[in-house]
Amino acid sequence: MKQYFAKMDDLGKPLKPAQIARMKENVAQIEEVLKGIEAEVDRVKKAGIPAETVRKRGQMTVWDRIEYLVDAGTFCPLHTLYNPLDNEEGMTGVIDGLARINGKWCVLVGFDNKVMAGAWIAGQADNNLRVTDMAKILNLPLVWLVNCSGVKLTEQEKVYANRRGNGTCFFRHAELEQRGIPILAGIYGTNPAGGGYQGISPTILLAHKDANIAVGGGGIVSGMSPKGFFDEEGAEQIIEATKHFKEVPPGSVGIHYNHTGFFRAVFEKETEVLDALKQYMAEMPAYNPRFFRVAEPAAPKYPPTEISSIISFNQKAGYDFDNILARLVDNSENLEFRPDFGPEVYTGLVKVDGFLLGAIGNRMGMFANYPEYTSKYTGIGGKLYRQGLIKMNEFVTQCGRDRVPIVWFQDTSGIDVGDIAEKAELLGLGQSLIYSIEQTNVPMMLVVLRKGTAAAHYIMGGPTANNHTAFTLGTATTEIYVMHGETASTASFSRRLVKEKEGGKSLGPIIDKMNELAKEYYDKSRPFYCAKTGFVDEVVRYEAIRNYMVAFANGVYQNPRSICPQHHMMLPRLIRAQIVKGLERPSKEAE
Amino acid sequence: MSIDVVAPMPGKIMDVLVKVGDKVSEDDELVILEAMKMENPIYAPADGVVKEIKVAKDAKVDSEQVLLVLE
Repeated sequence: MKQYFAKMDDLGKPLKPAQIARMKENVAQIEEVLKGIEAEVDRVKKAGIPAETVRKRGQMTVWDRIEYLVDAGTFCPLHTLYNPLDNEEGMTGVIDGLARINGKWCVLVGFDNKVMAGAWIAGQADNNLRVTDMAKILNLPLVWLVNCSGVKLTEQEKVYANRRGNGTCFFRHAELEQRGIPILAGIYGTNPAGGGYQGISPTILLAHKDANIAVGGGGIVSGMSPKGFFDEEGAEQIIEATKHFKEVPPGSVGIHYNHTGFFRAVFEKETEVLDALKQYMAEMPAYNPRFFRVAEPAAPKYPPTEISSIISFNQKAGYDFDNILARLVDNSENLEFRPDFGPEVYTGLVKVDGFLLGAIGNRMGMFANYPEYTSKYTGIGGKLYRQGLIKMNEFVTQCGRDRVPIVWFQDTSGIDVGDIAEKAELLGLGQSLIYSIEQTNVPMMLVVLRKGTAAAHYIMGGPTANNHTAFTLGTATTEIYVMHGETASTASFSRRLVKEKEGGKSLGPIIDKMNELAKEYYDKSRPFYCAKTGFVDEVVRYEAIRNYMVAFANGVYQNPRSICPQHHMMLPRLIRAQIVKGLERPSKEAE
Repeated sequence: MSIDVVAPMPGKIMDVLVKVGDKVSEDDELVILEAMKMENPIYAPADGVVKEIKVAKDAKVDSEQVLLVLE
């Protein structure tokens, strides 16, 4: 099939010096946003007690462990700023991401032992569900760095119970194991109660000599106050009892290596636990990449660093999506699917690190004589119309048939609205795309390049595609909201304005409210807000998007649940509707 | 040979990025047209020299209206 894949069609163009000069201010605006994001990431890395304090105890921090464990340059962090319940630490107490360990890709998650000795804190349960979802969607091993002191007792109501509380993750571990997805755990420190289940629920348990896992902590002095309340006398008794409490925590290696044998192995040094994880990772089931690669890996012909000179920080200004995609894919090549149909959407096959991926993205600009169902208005980039929706449905369905994973790029202001659009069946075609995605069973990732708006954010591989979209990236220009803030203000207050005007009252207070609402929409759609609340799983520099695409491609092709032989694929043939060179209908004379 | 550069849809001219006599290359941005709440660049369809500019900033234009002429 090299005639399809070895050399695809050229995509994108080099940037002209005039454009680079004109976009200087644009680049500066993007850098300003990234500076804010990077300051928050730095704050998260420094959360809790100082790293030096941990190291002086002879221990490694979670960051030290990740650095030692992961193949250099392969860690793609996710959920770094995820903090939906507003913890003062600015995070949920775990660090996670996609990583390659000893040549094999995995989903990696570790407790931040600087933050309350790796306690369960608010928001962590949802973080862990996202992590286990990723392992499930990508069919990748899950590697845990367990160092968990259990529930933060002063906030137990936020972490312990509930349908998707912290305990849910143990059911997910069981679910992954039933699906044949292994969970490896390196276990450190004291892990009572919830921490004990974090330790026992994985598949292979590798412990440091000072680690323990237990049903409950033996360190809890006494129990309830016999008086039913606390007073000075009771406090003095607690002080005395605590001073003399020297019990070794239950479930040490003496019990769980020597006695129960739960721990497969125990190691003197912290690094030896990580070395053992590396050895196990080397033995994880994985195809050699050549099994699935369609071509030799190649860097994009145009540098990804140029993307901030292409995408406009001004949300109302257009840009060339093809030029962005060209800077993310191997050799800046593609096979575009139905280029003359549904011009507001790009669909096509691309190569990333030699692997075949489907790419779908919104195109900007104006589309004369389009959409075909009306002459009352003209098509504009970012909106979705009938042909674009049909094309995405077709492409997604064919990707499912050919087992081609999909990368979505969103910059959408929504689906066309009004009775004309309703007659054109757009509501039904939007839901059809959701149906198409759900029946493909191929992994997907999403990049919200700029706007993620209205139902278009759902249907274009949004994070709501729980079973398919492994993770969502945001950028410095990401904005996610149901509609633009000014549109929402108008929709909310237009009738009120009429009423006040007809009543002869001042419009000032209503105008103030409209401006307040528009500002609130703006503030609550910014990249940091999106990362904090989980609208996206990480905000990254444009040039880092390719790293995540490489991790995604390698991850999904490492050990896929189903395979379509390259020579059975239909998409390349549908795209090259004409017969391949050398197979044209021969003349009678030639036959 | 002259080439007319036309507005693909009705809108308002946000900016004219070239002046008469400027040499332009295919795909260079010539004019920014605001339409449907978006600022859309109008690109040069081919290499050439700007012979005539028929619109000014803030002008309202119709679909197919000639914005400028290249030679």
